[in-house]
Amino acid sequence: MNTKMKRRINRVLLWVLIVLMAVWMLFPFYWAINSSFKSEGMLAMTPTTFIPRDPATREVSFFTRNYEAVFTNQAFLRGIVNSVIVATSVTLLSLAIGSFAGFALGKLRYRGKTATLYVILAMTMFPAIAVLTGLYAMINNLGIPPIPSMIITYMLFTLPFTAWVLTAFFRELPTEIFQSAQVDGASPFQTFYLIMLPLTAPALVTTGLLAFIGAWNEYLFALTFTSIAPDARTLPVIIANFPSQFSRQIPFGEIMAGGIVSSVPLIVLVFIFQRRIVAGLTAGAVKG
Amino acid sequence: MARQGGSDLARREQRLAYWLLAPTFIILLAIAIYPLFSVFYTSFTNNVFASAAPTEFVGFQNYQRLLSMTIRQLPPRLDEAGRPIVDPNTGAVQYESAVTVLPREPIRFRPVTQFDLFGSRYVLGATDPSFIRAVWDTIVFAVATVFLELVLGMIVALIVNANFKGRGFMRAIILIPWAIPTAVSSQMWAYMLQPNRTGFFNTVFWYLGLGNGEIPFLSDPAWQLPSMIMIDVWKTTPFMALLLLAGLQLIPGDIYEAADVDGAGPVRQFFQLTLPLLKGTIAVALVFRTLDALRVFDLFQIVLGQARYSMASFTYYELIQNRQMGYSSASSVVIFLVLSVFAVTYMRSLGVKSDEH
Repeated sequence: MNTKMKRRINRVLLWVLIVLMAVWMLFPFYWAINSSFKSEGMLAMTPTTFIPRDPATREVSFFTRNYEAVFTNQAFLRGIVNSVIVATSVTLLSLAIGSFAGFALGKLRYRGKTATLYVILAMTMFPAIAVLTGLYAMINNLGIPPIPSMIITYMLFTLPFTAWVLTAFFRELPTEIFQSAQVDGASPFQTFYLIMLPLTAPALVTTGLLAFIGAWNEYLFALTFTSIAPDARTLPVIIANFPSQFSRQIPFGEIMAGGIVSSVPLIVLVFIFQRRIVAGLTAGAVKG
Repeated sequence: MARQGGSDLARREQRLAYWLLAPTFIILLAIAIYPLFSVFYTSFTNNVFASAAPTEFVGFQNYQRLLSMTIRQLPPRLDEAGRPIVDPNTGAVQYESAVTVLPREPIRFRPVTQFDLFGSRYVLGATDPSFIRAVWDTIVFAVATVFLELVLGMIVALIVNANFKGRGFMRAIILIPWAIPTAVSSQMWAYMLQPNRTGFFNTVFWYLGLGNGEIPFLSDPAWQLPSMIMIDVWKTTPFMALLLLAGLQLIPGDIYEAADVDGAGPVRQFFQLTLPLLKGTIAVALVFRTLDALRVFDLFQIVLGQARYSMASFTYYELIQNRQMGYSSASSVVIFLVLSVFAVTYMRSLGVKSDEH
């Protein structure tokens, strides 16, 4: 009886903690959604309301024009296209190039392996801010347009990470597969892309997701390289410096609507691939 | 030792390895190593972006301007009779203006902060107070966020490690703050922190009878850093929790069964079993997160702009706003050196597995 009571109390405590945690994690989103359905007049109400209410009648009412404004805002629409182009290209390039490196680092024997492993690990921590000035000068001197610039420079953080995580996955594949394929007369490269690569498909999905999220959210390079090219701006830069169509106060309703719209793809990915993302995140930081 | 055929195969394997590694290393050479060297070089020049003035080599001048600091004692203000002037209302001694004691040659020092020590007043002066303040703020930010994230992340990790219905769903929910763009979350929080009762926090504080409903969270220097810390803790605790969760899952469950038999309560089990076993994971997570926190950019640039800098946003504004290539390169180098210390510690604690001898 006593232990049963104790167990029940523990259960209740656990659920209290779970609810508190969920509220903490989700409340800012709730607030953003709430604000995105408010007109300027509703946003200006003091005290603010926890659901959109009409300022005069105080009845609950939803204002959907912010979403209409966002989806007719040329800059925002172009931002979606730019973000999709940049994030997809970065992901595909990093996976292709990173899987080459991962295979060599994880499965092949060659001189200088320890050194190359250390270089890749060190590069996963390379601070982008340290080379910002150098990259900016290089891009301007070579006259590279902003979108290709972003695609190339984002590999600074996606490529070492991809190579590092894939190395760990390749290493865990049984060496016998590799050897027996070679005995059967397959060249090492054929072994790589006919046999090993399909086996690492789950790892490719994981690292691809993380590269995509990283590239979709990147702000420092995007902001710097598009400072004089508004047409090339990606979603984070647009959300942070929201282009108001009319001169008025900061259009918080539209910013919240735009923010929700640009977060939806990521939230969908998180719910579908929760397990894979967690595995990839911790593999990148914890395992050697 | 290997026979002829074997060594031929080995040579082919080695050649393939170099070919496969080449693209990665060429790209990293172009976008990391080369720019890093050019930043080092530029930091010793007075280069101004898109300027007609010729670039000259200036030695350590940029670093001198960035990092020069001095501490001077502030004398109290004296009246005609030579006695210190005391504020009649508060009884506090009044001091001379800081500018009078700080050196002006060759570069003018400006006050960063004042402090009291052994009954005297001192002033800390720097040739670039914004940078010194940015370094200090970034360090305070990093220490506070990493500490809070560790404590809260541990709680979150223990929760999502427990057995309950909907655990997978909960793990997805805690991923959301981590997954959405910092640009979006910064704007969301900036709106919640509005300096009047259109903002969530001012409304709630006002309902609770705290403050007048017009607390300027983002413009009052006393509130700026706590606000930044609160936002970052919300955003990054999930990541910390997942790192710790990975460590928790490696601990075999039968240890706890043995502890149950011994009659150790859950609190004692946590401090005497879980925590010591997690030491390695915690160390790695701490260094990893500190590295991340020290280079914070998005949050500071979006929410505070030029009101208050982190090291990274200072560098960005020197480059884009002031076009000071040389000067911003020098601050990049300082950041790089600081971060390298942590990165080396991290690599030491992690180690690299290799079959090469």
